[in-house]
Amino acid sequence: MDLVLHAGELLLTSGAEIYRVEETIERMGRAAGFVQVEGFATPTGLFISLHAPGGQVYTRVRRTRHSRNNLAAIAAINSLSREFSEGKVTAHEVKQQLAALTESGSPHSLMRQIVGGGGAMAFTLIFGGGWLEAIFAGLIGAAVLTVVALLQRYPVPKVLQAAVGGMAASAMALGLANVFPIHPDLTTLGAVMVMTPGVAMTTAIRDLLSGELLSGLSRAAEALVVSVAIATGVAIVISLGGR
Amino acid sequence: MLIQPLIGFVGAITFAYIYRVPAKQRIFAGLVGAVGYTMFLLTPQSWGEIGTVFMGAMAAAICSEILARRRRQPVLVFLIPGVIPLVPGGQAYLTMLGFLQKEYAEAFVSLVSTVLAAGAVAAGIIVASSIFRIYSSTKHARR
Repeated sequence: MDLVLHAGELLLTSGAEIYRVEETIERMGRAAGFVQVEGFATPTGLFISLHAPGGQVYTRVRRTRHSRNNLAAIAAINSLSREFSEGKVTAHEVKQQLAALTESGSPHSLMRQIVGGGGAMAFTLIFGGGWLEAIFAGLIGAAVLTVVALLQRYPVPKVLQAAVGGMAASAMALGLANVFPIHPDLTTLGAVMVMTPGVAMTTAIRDLLSGELLSGLSRAAEALVVSVAIATGVAIVISLGGR
Repeated sequence: MLIQPLIGFVGAITFAYIYRVPAKQRIFAGLVGAVGYTMFLLTPQSWGEIGTVFMGAMAAAICSEILARRRRQPVLVFLIPGVIPLVPGGQAYLTMLGFLQKEYAEAFVSLVSTVLAAGAVAAGIIVASSIFRIYSSTKHARR
């Protein structure tokens, strides 16, 4: 019972599509020996109801608050639930692995920030920047990821994280543009791309496609709000800079 | 011009890292990004921005669906990093700048093209995924 709920909750907070969450709940519930399994998931909550062969019905509600994008967790639970329903692993093993997954995935690794800087470089080049701009965008992108990772340790809303990230990127790019011959817009643009809400955008599309209008729209709204917040952060600095 | 696909590859693989794609799948996520971005560049300019972005997103989504089945992974693992190079971040930035500088006419033009390009990415994914869903439902259990 708790196993099913836990797996569903982890999938949901990692950014999985709704049909995957509900399908996993159903598959695992049946494998655990329940005759009828009903799951209802939205991005902010999870309801499951399990019918035991004896006629009892167990129902649980789980409110999910903060989401962190973790595709590795989605992939791991996906294969775990398959193995469980094929009887290759026991309930106890699944429980242990889920607990390990909850612990793992520390989002604040140095490596992540360095690699993110590489992403910022690539985007500056995609948008037509030169190598000098790309290098600075890479440095700023890594710094922005560090700032956002620091904010994530406190209960700062996602929107504010994005706005502060945008402000930081823009301020650094404008400052560097005073010293070096770089284009501040292209540098900022590459750097803020590391905050793109890519998971929310893509999941929203897939949710809408499978008829999950509620989650599709709320995830699309999340992506939109985060993007607007980034732009607002950048805009505040640019207008303070007097352009 | 090998540099452009390479940039698409780097963009996608770094985002695969940011979104924590499983280590073994990152290379493939990067390849999806390279394919999508190359398709976007190869589509004739006469198709307009929407057409080129659409073709790029569709190519990336088709690759993601195939890889997801081959490598037994959720589609999202490849799809999310794969479409990242096509996101209209530059247009969105221009929109913001336009509004700031009170050039509303130009700002609205780039707002519309941002929204349309984002819609084209969505449409590309939807078309490709729908094809695979129809294919799966006629064959066997879907992933």
